Amino acid sequence: MARRPFNAAIPLACLALTLFLSAGDAFAETVPQPIAFSHKIHVTDYKLNCRFCHSSTNKSQYANIPSVEKCMMCHRSIATDKPEVKKVARYWNEKKPIPWNKVIDVPNHVYFPHKKMVNAGISCLTCHPGMDQAGTAVQKLEFGMGMCMECHRKKKVTIDCWKCHY
Amino acid sequence: MLDRRQFLKLGGATAFATLFGGCDKVQSRLIPFVIPPENYTLGEALWYASVCGQCPAGCGIVVRVSEGRAKKIEGNPLHPVNRGKLCARGQAALQALYHPERLSRPMKLSGARGSGAYAPVSWEEALSLLMGPLKKVKAEAPGSLLMLTEPMRGHAGLVAGRFMKTFGSKHRVSWDPFGPDAMLSANAAVYGVRDLPEHDLANARYLLSFSGDFLETGISPVHYAREYGRMRGDRETIRGKFVHFGPRLSMTAAAADLFIPCAPGTEGFVALGIAHVMVRDRLTIASSAAGRLLDDLGPYSPEEVEKKTGVHAHDIAAAAEEFSRNQPGLAIAGTGAATGPDGAFHCAAVALLNVLAGNVGTPGGVSFPNRAQAFAKYGTEAALLAPSPESGYAGMRTALEKIRGGAVRMAILSGATNPAFTLPPSLKFNEALSKVPFVVAFASFLDETTSLADLVLPVPTALEAWGDDLAPVGHAGAITLCQPVVGPLHDTRSMPDVLIAAAKELGGEPAKALPWGSFRECIENAYGGPGGEMEKALQRGGFFGESSSSRSAARTGNVAFPKAAERPIGGDPKAFPLALHLYPSITLYDGRGANLPWLQEMPDPISTAVWRNWVEVSPKTAAELGLAEGDGVTVTSPSGKITAHVAFNPGVAPDVAAMPLGQGHTRYGKYANGRGENPISLLPAGETYTLQATRVALAKTKLSTTLARTGHPEGQWKVKNMM
Repeated sequence: MARRPFNAAIPLACLALTLFLSAGDAFAETVPQPIAFSHKIHVTDYKLNCRFCHSSTNKSQYANIPSVEKCMMCHRSIATDKPEVKKVARYWNEKKPIPWNKVIDVPNHVYFPHKKMVNAGISCLTCHPGMDQAGTAVQKLEFGMGMCMECHRKKKVTIDCWKCHY
Repeated sequence: MLDRRQFLKLGGATAFATLFGGCDKVQSRLIPFVIPPENYTLGEALWYASVCGQCPAGCGIVVRVSEGRAKKIEGNPLHPVNRGKLCARGQAALQALYHPERLSRPMKLSGARGSGAYAPVSWEEALSLLMGPLKKVKAEAPGSLLMLTEPMRGHAGLVAGRFMKTFGSKHRVSWDPFGPDAMLSANAAVYGVRDLPEHDLANARYLLSFSGDFLETGISPVHYAREYGRMRGDRETIRGKFVHFGPRLSMTAAAADLFIPCAPGTEGFVALGIAHVMVRDRLTIASSAAGRLLDDLGPYSPEEVEKKTGVHAHDIAAAAEEFSRNQPGLAIAGTGAATGPDGAFHCAAVALLNVLAGNVGTPGGVSFPNRAQAFAKYGTEAALLAPSPESGYAGMRTALEKIRGGAVRMAILSGATNPAFTLPPSLKFNEALSKVPFVVAFASFLDETTSLADLVLPVPTALEAWGDDLAPVGHAGAITLCQPVVGPLHDTRSMPDVLIAAAKELGGEPAKALPWGSFRECIENAYGGPGGEMEKALQRGGFFGESSSSRSAARTGNVAFPKAAERPIGGDPKAFPLALHLYPSITLYDGRGANLPWLQEMPDPISTAVWRNWVEVSPKTAAELGLAEGDGVTVTSPSGKITAHVAFNPGVAPDVAAMPLGQGHTRYGKYANGRGENPISLLPAGETYTLQATRVALAKTKLSTTLARTGHPEGQWKVKNMM
């Protein structure tokens, strides 16, 4: 008797596709963080420049996460009674770093230097829209190559492959 | 049973899981610093200039520091000694910095002395343990304090010297196993200057080297390697010729145009043979000196020298003629010649060639820059900052006698020269040190010497410390500054810092002599402090650009003829048929590099062996003794016995057994211990520290180990033909 073929490939492929798409779609989610930091309070309400905390954006490839010492420069005396600030103080007193979760990522095959953009006068909100109104960091745009190319074409700057992929 | 279909299904599922399993949302963490390092920018490297502390050559380095961590060391391009180059030992300083066995806290002895059992204590407790005996010794017998260190240069030497002087003790010994004692005495006799010479290789047209391994382990290998490169290739139409005499084909010898093997301990006779031909055939430039030497040189005709040394008379005559016709030419005596039983004679005989060629104080010749001039503002104390580079062997022997006589109640040890490993065991250093009631050691690692202490105080490595330095050669009068390139990785304090703190607590004279709050303050006071000249100098690595005046060699017109003491190498030639030739290892130096895996796994350039030591013999000698490549042998001398593997080297002189130094540690951590045995245990304890002091016998034995080599001893030809 001929056995009825069990075609496992179809459901498996569907599952794979679902998983693959959901992984790709993750950029819109809110990532849980150890401290409910508010970008809105710092940037919009108190008018702090982004580079006050992310100070390496004009000097380095990376936009740094501020050190605990940087937080405590102000929060030794400001808003010390707030529960989230108390959490920061606890990390400081224990001399432990705050284990932030990564929100924004650029794939490894892309070289993206923050300093080039910042020093060319591109506003932080161009690529990070809504960050000034957000609580913890959010990523509202998907960083695909199309987004980069569109802007580079508009500004008539290089679109050579090797500029970003090397 | 798994049929084909099921197998394919399972395989497919596995492949699917493997492919897409990684697509889950993995949240990676971003961990910022609690307190960021100074001048820190994420992702941007900083380069800090400092001094290499891996050997006494004093090369300038620049260290790439990312995120507050030292990542890579390179030579400082501005530094006059090494001009941007650095050797493997210097590169390996990173491994010393991050070494898992580094001492991170003070430790006090918790078992019997010498057992190596220690318990960690706080710095407060450690300092009180130090100050108790120190105060007692100061009050009762200040002269009974012994300070035994590696040679200390710059302000570290000033702090140590002043501390001992105001404490009231004269027992300060600096030990360096490769201290050029013989060369210093020879220079005093021939040139009238008891100092290290600068050899201007770059401008020489001809170079005669006598057992001089100046490209590997000499006084300043990186400096001379660069100068040698310039001699060979920096001039349009001149390519300097290099002829090497010595008992073994070393890496330096392999770089020569002509390598002529001679019996160990006969280098001086070859030089006198060359001098004989120069004088006899009127080939000398400095004829005034030549006339007086005619009679003295009479017995050293090339034919006579051939009998003594095994070098053909026509080779000697040819070398003499070429050397004379290609001026400026240089003659250099190296470690092999200087560490023989009659080292001062060999060095003097070689120096004589420079005098005969009229190459003293001229470009392409020998000169003597005044090292102490850089610290002239200290007057008589300048000698503390730029000490004479003697090995300190005589001082060591005197100190050991005093210890045995009960005249030492407390000893302070410091430095990487590890006397318990580098002194012949027959000198009984360990036994003597155990008689000292209290021993404190400053160290980054426990080794054979520091593990004999009652109290071990951890020090920062050269990459974490402040300091200053004046290199022994090639310095051009420039003082190099040493600064921490990274914050201290462990709870360490430098020896000068502890001495300054101790002086403060002792009060009185010591406190007045060391008035600074810390060693950093001492350095800053000396060089104008931050914000001034020192800031710029720190960025460049030191005060470069000033040239030092050369001290003229006063006595070259009236040279004393070097007298051979004809001291034979120890041991009965019948019972011990081979002369033992010990040479510093290009990777491990005197053994201090043995705990760094980078250096252990770096093949020796000639034998290509790694991770162990070996005994090199020529294939002919080995055949006579019935030994094959890789065989285990016992090497027996009148003073000791060790085992090693045979490595053929067709470039070793007949009847010579050559061994590298540096292996054979017993208490230097997991990377150093148990890798062969220490060849220094074969040496007798003589009046001078001589490495070529004994004869040995080789006997085949079975060893459980094998010798790992990265190349075939007979080279690529053999490998190709076997394939």
